[in-house]
Amino acid sequence: MGASISKMMAKIFGSKEMRLLMLGLDAAGKTTILYKLKLDTDVTTIPTVGFNVETVTYKNTKFNVWDVGGQDKIRPLWRHYFSGTQGLIFVIDSNDRDRMDEAKKELERIIQDREMKDALLLVFANKQDIRGAMSPKEVSNELELDRTAKGHVWKVEPSCATTGEGIFEGLAWLSNNVKLPPK
Amino acid sequence: MKGAITSQYPRDASETNHVEYILVASFDIDRGSVMQHQYPAAVGGDEHMLAELMLPDQTHMRSQDWTIFFLHKDAALEEDNEHKEQNGDERAGAEQPDEPNGETKEAAAQAADAFDGPPLIYVLNLVNTKQDQTVKRGAVVKAMAICTRHSFLHIYKPLLLLALEQYFANPAIETLANLYNAVNSMDLSLMPRLSHYERFILQSSDAKDMFIEKFEALIAQRVESNNEQDPALPSPNTQHPLRSRYGLPRDTHEFESVVKYANIPVPIKVPTALSPETVGDFSLIKLVTTFSTPHTTSPSPFSPTHPHLTTAGTLTHPIIVLLNALLTQKRIIFLGHNLPSSEVAEAVLAACSLVSGGILRGFTRHAFPYTDLTKIDDLLKVPGFIAGVTNPAFGHKTEWWDLLCDLSTGRMRISNRVQQASPTEGVLFFQQPSHMPTSQAGPTSGISAIAAADATGDGAFMGSVLKAIEERHGENAIRSRFRRWVLKFTRLAAAFEELVYGASVLHIAPSPQKSEADGAREVLGHGYVWPSNQAKTNELAANATRIEGWRNTRSYYNFIQDIAAFYAYQPVKAIDLQHQHDRLANLRLGPALAADIYLAICAAVQSGDEINQLLAVVINTSSDHRRGGTGFAGQGQGLFFLAYGLFHPNVDVRMQVAELLARIREHEAGRHFWDDMGMFMKLACEKVLSAAQAKKFDDEEDEEK
Repeated sequence: MGASISKMMAKIFGSKEMRLLMLGLDAAGKTTILYKLKLDTDVTTIPTVGFNVETVTYKNTKFNVWDVGGQDKIRPLWRHYFSGTQGLIFVIDSNDRDRMDEAKKELERIIQDREMKDALLLVFANKQDIRGAMSPKEVSNELELDRTAKGHVWKVEPSCATTGEGIFEGLAWLSNNVKLPPK
Repeated sequence: MKGAITSQYPRDASETNHVEYILVASFDIDRGSVMQHQYPAAVGGDEHMLAELMLPDQTHMRSQDWTIFFLHKDAALEEDNEHKEQNGDERAGAEQPDEPNGETKEAAAQAADAFDGPPLIYVLNLVNTKQDQTVKRGAVVKAMAICTRHSFLHIYKPLLLLALEQYFANPAIETLANLYNAVNSMDLSLMPRLSHYERFILQSSDAKDMFIEKFEALIAQRVESNNEQDPALPSPNTQHPLRSRYGLPRDTHEFESVVKYANIPVPIKVPTALSPETVGDFSLIKLVTTFSTPHTTSPSPFSPTHPHLTTAGTLTHPIIVLLNALLTQKRIIFLGHNLPSSEVAEAVLAACSLVSGGILRGFTRHAFPYTDLTKIDDLLKVPGFIAGVTNPAFGHKTEWWDLLCDLSTGRMRISNRVQQASPTEGVLFFQQPSHMPTSQAGPTSGISAIAAADATGDGAFMGSVLKAIEERHGENAIRSRFRRWVLKFTRLAAAFEELVYGASVLHIAPSPQKSEADGAREVLGHGYVWPSNQAKTNELAANATRIEGWRNTRSYYNFIQDIAAFYAYQPVKAIDLQHQHDRLANLRLGPALAADIYLAICAAVQSGDEINQLLAVVINTSSDHRRGGTGFAGQGQGLFFLAYGLFHPNVDVRMQVAELLARIREHEAGRHFWDDMGMFMKLACEKVLSAAQAKKFDDEEDEEK
């Protein structure tokens, strides 16, 4: 009975749970974003071997965020994390113009996977604090989101993981747009 | 007398290295896990996959971690092995008839292993993460692994710690070569080889000088051969320092050696007696405690239940559920989110040993002490695996496993997608009115009703295990308990098959030989001993589902092979020693019946090997847990039930038993059992022996007249 009451409360107050998967090329800032969300501090990260996973509660939504290492050889592993994912956070280093094409190809591969067909797409145009960073508009053009993310609800959010700028705005957008699975 | 004592690892066997490969992998910030060096040659197989196993998930979160994984040699190498095996058979065939039985038994065990495929290569891996601001992205992650065919791979831990440190300082292949040469120069040649029963007796005994005679003999042989080679040292005065240089072990359970690496003499202790399916160092106490504590403080019912698994209903003890899952070859995952990968690996190794009990085989071969998501496709091809993971993603995928053991919470879950067990002949058998189990609690109502009354005895068994842990009986005592549980399970299964199917391949009936001289009556019977038929029906009915679940598994088929292979080398074939001794221990027998049993045992047990077998039987006999036999571990109640024959009304029985005990007293292992016997029994034995002596003297005098 306890469980059914909390379910009812969840309906009234809109508390929900959301499974997020955070991917992106290596050194884009995924782990820094994760720990900014979790601890609200700027941590120095080292390359992720395997994955990190944390639960973050923000505005009545419990986010289960998976952050998976981004090295070239590890990317084929990403697919194992797809099933059950409601939102994909794709992190871009907005200064790494040379690798935008690589990023686009990876994003395409992920978001067009059958298991991801209902997932929201949030792109963090990260590292905005560095001069000469690409604007959100530039990022969406480079990634050709109109084409690659066709059929998905998507947004590009300018962010700076070390200061936290844009990070919580991104979560709020995910929380507002998530469709609760029919119970 | 016996032939010469041989070494487990003879000095001249130079082709068998202790360690076969040394590997180094590192995490490349652009490419991920990369293999950097393999020495002396490449292991073969998927190099990238190896590197991934060496750098476990989340290793960036901790400065140091250990993992263990196994390599299965590929088909090409398997051919090579078959070739070797043939050579082995020839050797076994050409063996001298006076060779100690242990040797040939060993060959049989190896032949049995070959059914399974070539031996595994065990890999012990150490990974370090070092923060380093001078490198890009601030950290260096490197791992070094030792690949060996020794199941006691944990002895290499101190060496790996030193060597990986060296490698950080000098990242070159020479560092690997130095380690390789150092470990392979380890001298284990003074570790005596033990037979099957001797190994078992040593493991079950706490005596620190059990089989010290074998160590002494091996040293004496060495001293002698050294003298032959170097006749300049003939005097006993020079021999003495040699003897002390070789040194007898302080505890015969372990053989001490030294590996000199990087100018540091690293002491190494190698276990003398190894059980099959025991790999590395792990703790059954830890495994049992992890899953018992939450179950004791706040039991949470299993849902769903499964006839193979929840043999005592929804609140079956989790360790019993784990044992059942292992026996019935379910897919088992140990998950340790945020735990070091060494912890999940140890849990997997402990589980293999738990269910094997040194008796059953086929678990480590399908165990993956540490694995990750990248290998999931291959893992799912293995029917019935035991895997250790740290990635919580496994927890969500109920289609990947049947039993999930969460090491962080100490809870187990049965998957809602576990394959259902169809009712089998054996289970239906116990639903017929004539074989219906009864319980004291109420009217007969089938298997489910008696589950609540602890019909399997597992509840009482786990109670006694937990009590022993609480009383700090130690790891060895706990392993012995589970070993007896597994042994009992196999014996119940044999009785079950005979009852339900009319015959069992799990048991080879004794082949009585008509004794010529004394005309002792045949002592028949075999298998497990119950006080009554009803007790037998109840116990078998309670075990029916999991026995049926076991009857199609790898460990079941391995066991059948092992029994057949082993039977040829079993010293006592005329009677089922275990059965007869259990009758003495557990039944109220009339004097006539007891006399037959005593005389049969005394007649069958003469040689040293036969005494070894009898001692193993004595260790295995445990009075039923429900009848309060919780106090003893290891050697059980020793020779008590045999010595009881010293008080038999029949003088011939008394004399035969006393002579058997005298033989045991002179036996290298038997003397420890004699020492443990009460003073009262010892005096009684002396009395019977001296009476026998006097009688013999009288008889001789009579003859002279």
